[in-house]
Amino acid sequence: MKYSRTYAEDVKVGDELPPLVKGPIQQIQLTRYAGASGDFNPIHQDHEFAKAAGMDDVFAHGMLSMGFVAQCVTDWAGPAAVRKLGVRFAAIVRLKDTVTCRGRVLGKSSKDDVHLVELEIWAENQRGEKVVTGKATVALPSRDG
Amino acid sequence: MPIQLNKALIGRELQPFVVTIERGKIKEFARAIGDANPLYLDDRAGQASEWGDIVAPPTFMTTFRDAAGDNTDFLRELGTDISRLLHGEQEFELHRPLRPGDTLLCRSRIVDIYEKTGRSGPMGFVVRETVATDKTGEIAGAMRHITVVRL
Repeated sequence: MKYSRTYAEDVKVGDELPPLVKGPIQQIQLTRYAGASGDFNPIHQDHEFAKAAGMDDVFAHGMLSMGFVAQCVTDWAGPAAVRKLGVRFAAIVRLKDTVTCRGRVLGKSSKDDVHLVELEIWAENQRGEKVVTGKATVALPSRDG
Repeated sequence: MPIQLNKALIGRELQPFVVTIERGKIKEFARAIGDANPLYLDDRAGQASEWGDIVAPPTFMTTFRDAAGDNTDFLRELGTDISRLLHGEQEFELHRPLRPGDTLLCRSRIVDIYEKTGRSGPMGFVVRETVATDKTGEIAGAMRHITVVRL
């Protein structure tokens, strides 16, 4: 079930997060994201500007793709679980692209009743090319409370 | 001869600014990502949660900007303009969930500027770190941003 609780005890190294499919990317989403984030770089909005800057067309904000990857993590771990989230933007996400976000458990540790899980996270486009790669650390609750 | 970035900006502290997190802004941001988590969007679900209110998505700190600031001058001083920029890397460290009404002091610093030649030619890299502290002086979160400049 979506938004179900994930407990530290139930997580094993190598476990995969349920994939999250986003898109196809439409111009309206880039416009909404510009307004919501405050990033009004015209390279994400204006075809002429993008062409003049040497790009084929407008493309998605890297931060939108990072938001997708973050959603993949929080759908699984809960919205307030994320302690660290770091990514590299490996390739541009274009209009009409579909972005599939994935994650895998790399490690677990517990100290002073804080249960941390390290994740490898990434997103790929419809051609299987990685567009985002990174790592996250989440704090999960214990079944013992 | 490719353009050189102005490395004298390494170590530069940008003008600190204050952000107060708005309830509507959290919801607008979650909706723009297409994330319908009730703990971002539903006040009642937030009140019933252990955090007592809705929380901000993990990447929300990207909205923290100096409302009075304009980075055109900074980019000119750096030796480039907005059309040459790409986002290279981004990292967030969250010490606690961010909620509506949180007032945070944001301090940003340029920690490094360097150049490298990759597959697509010479590129510049600008590394900026921002730390957000709350009214008690505790760090609520921090972020590290690497901008790529197509030289």
